[in-house]
Amino acid sequence: MGKPYTLDELLAIAVAREIHDYENVVLGVGVPMTAGALAKSLLAPHATLMMESGIVDIRPLLSLNNIADAHSARGFSYATDLFSAFTTTYRGFVDVCFLGVAQVDKYGNLNTTVIGDYEKPTMRLPGSGGAADFISYAKRTVLTMRGGTFVNKLDYFTSPGYLEGGDSRDKTGLFPIGSGPSALISTKGIFRFDATTKEMYLATIHPGVSLESVKKDIPWDLRVSPDLAQTERPTDEEIDFIRNFAPELSAGRELTVELRNAAIRKKAELRAGKNA
Amino acid sequence: MAEVSGKVMSAREAVHRFVRDGDELVIGNYTVGSCAELVYEIARQRKKGFTLYSQSGIFDVEVLVAGGCVDRLVTTYVMRSGGKKGGSAVERALNAGTLQIEDYTNFEYNARLVAGMHGFSFMPVLEGVMVTDIFRRRGFMGENKFRVIQCPYTGKDKLTVPAAAPDVCVIHVQRADAEGNAQYWGAMGSVAAAALASKRIIVSCEEIVDHEIIQSSPHLTIIPAYRVNAVVEVPWGAHPTEVLGYYNVDTFMYNSLFTAAAATASGLAAWMEEWVYGCPDRAHYIDHYIARFGSETLDELRAKPFYSAPADYGAAFTSHWDRDGRERSMGVTLPELEKLLKDRGKVYG
Repeated sequence: MGKPYTLDELLAIAVAREIHDYENVVLGVGVPMTAGALAKSLLAPHATLMMESGIVDIRPLLSLNNIADAHSARGFSYATDLFSAFTTTYRGFVDVCFLGVAQVDKYGNLNTTVIGDYEKPTMRLPGSGGAADFISYAKRTVLTMRGGTFVNKLDYFTSPGYLEGGDSRDKTGLFPIGSGPSALISTKGIFRFDATTKEMYLATIHPGVSLESVKKDIPWDLRVSPDLAQTERPTDEEIDFIRNFAPELSAGRELTVELRNAAIRKKAELRAGKNA
Repeated sequence: MAEVSGKVMSAREAVHRFVRDGDELVIGNYTVGSCAELVYEIARQRKKGFTLYSQSGIFDVEVLVAGGCVDRLVTTYVMRSGGKKGGSAVERALNAGTLQIEDYTNFEYNARLVAGMHGFSFMPVLEGVMVTDIFRRRGFMGENKFRVIQCPYTGKDKLTVPAAAPDVCVIHVQRADAEGNAQYWGAMGSVAAAALASKRIIVSCEEIVDHEIIQSSPHLTIIPAYRVNAVVEVPWGAHPTEVLGYYNVDTFMYNSLFTAAAATASGLAAWMEEWVYGCPDRAHYIDHYIARFGSETLDELRAKPFYSAPADYGAAFTSHWDRDGRERSMGVTLPELEKLLKDRGKVYG
């Protein structure tokens, strides 16, 4: 048996495995950045990692704070601008992009704008950022889900997945044929989209997770792959990479905040001691 | 044309002179290195009635919205300070009915500024968004949020956005000269377009450098001097965010103090009382920070150098005349050339 891992580590590693060598990859906020770095180091050394801020071909040395973080690397190859990062995507040069999910429906359409009413929101979320344009024009899009929800109807339709399913996306004539979400990876399993109906189905389930636990999050009758397998376990090498590169991802948000606050208190006490 | 001298001034004077109530104001920075001191000074001067443009709203938008400066927000991304459970100043203002919002994608927002920067009245954008609520839901811009036109060449529907030409841009960069040539490097984002689309530009910088430094590295200049109204030298001017080559993001101030405070209206008000209104300028802010948390806390953030390889702007020669005073291609001296011009009847007067 290999090393034990956290669910966030498993998620990041599963995301990294969606990146193939020599691909052009647009990284989104959070988990995908660490996944991209893992892929670049261990799985896809010739991948070109880029971000919508215009940072192209970056090899991060430690986890990135945001999509404009040039502090976490020693330089990068091409400093273009945001406008060109998107026209590059529009022209078909981006193989895969990664988007986080707040609400998702069975056809991979996304809401990252608002929960509740648009004008008087229950929860105002960040908004599209680059999401709607990337999922429109990247050759494929991998959705990552940590705390989002599956819904029958989005409160706000931010980013286009497969619209009403079937060939409805391709039929609009607005998108490259064959583009759209290729997978949704959560802390419970990996979902893919049926080649014909474009409906999301459970492709693999993470070790130790029950099918019941996956289904209870989903308000429609979830299709499950007839030969449902377990998601491949992370290797020790992959787990070690994540812990070194992004210890705060391994620690998780709650423990990170707790430890940071404790460290700050300790520093303040030391200073108070020195000044006394 | 902007003034050619006397542009170096304090943040207080720059904001007082060039930011007006009711302006369309754009925060030029994108996600990193925000112009914190200029934003705080705007809040301190209680400017109001802005239509605020922000490519990616972070603490800067939160401060201006919580400070009551903003009536309308044009954006693509709004920070949710309080995480999933907490709120944000933007969310509270929307619910209170004191703020109107217009949502674009990153590209659409930037395209509006690129159109403005180049003097066009609109810009085509990526048409996939036509199936989404970003296209369907219109805020205060109504019909003019997007227009669909027919491409005269292909006959296809093209989605367009109108140009944006904000009244004033506030922006922080690594360095500038006293005339306002502003140099910025790192994540280029939409930084140049935000500034160049605007009618007035206030540049704050980590340091003012000699004009010769600018002349030897023009590829780093994103705003030419003649467009700039004010140059403000503010070390730590983007703190708690980061400036490449100068300092990293201060996760303690940002993630522990600010975001924890900003989850509630009263928390944010108290934080602003201490860090925005309570500090008359950035020097006092830094002094206050050091008094509370120690200079070592700031020192840990200072960047260690990783210099760009110099680009060689050298040339074979810098004069038409060689060491013997002869023109390099014609082989004559200047007196010989002048004599020839006279002999051939080419000179008058």
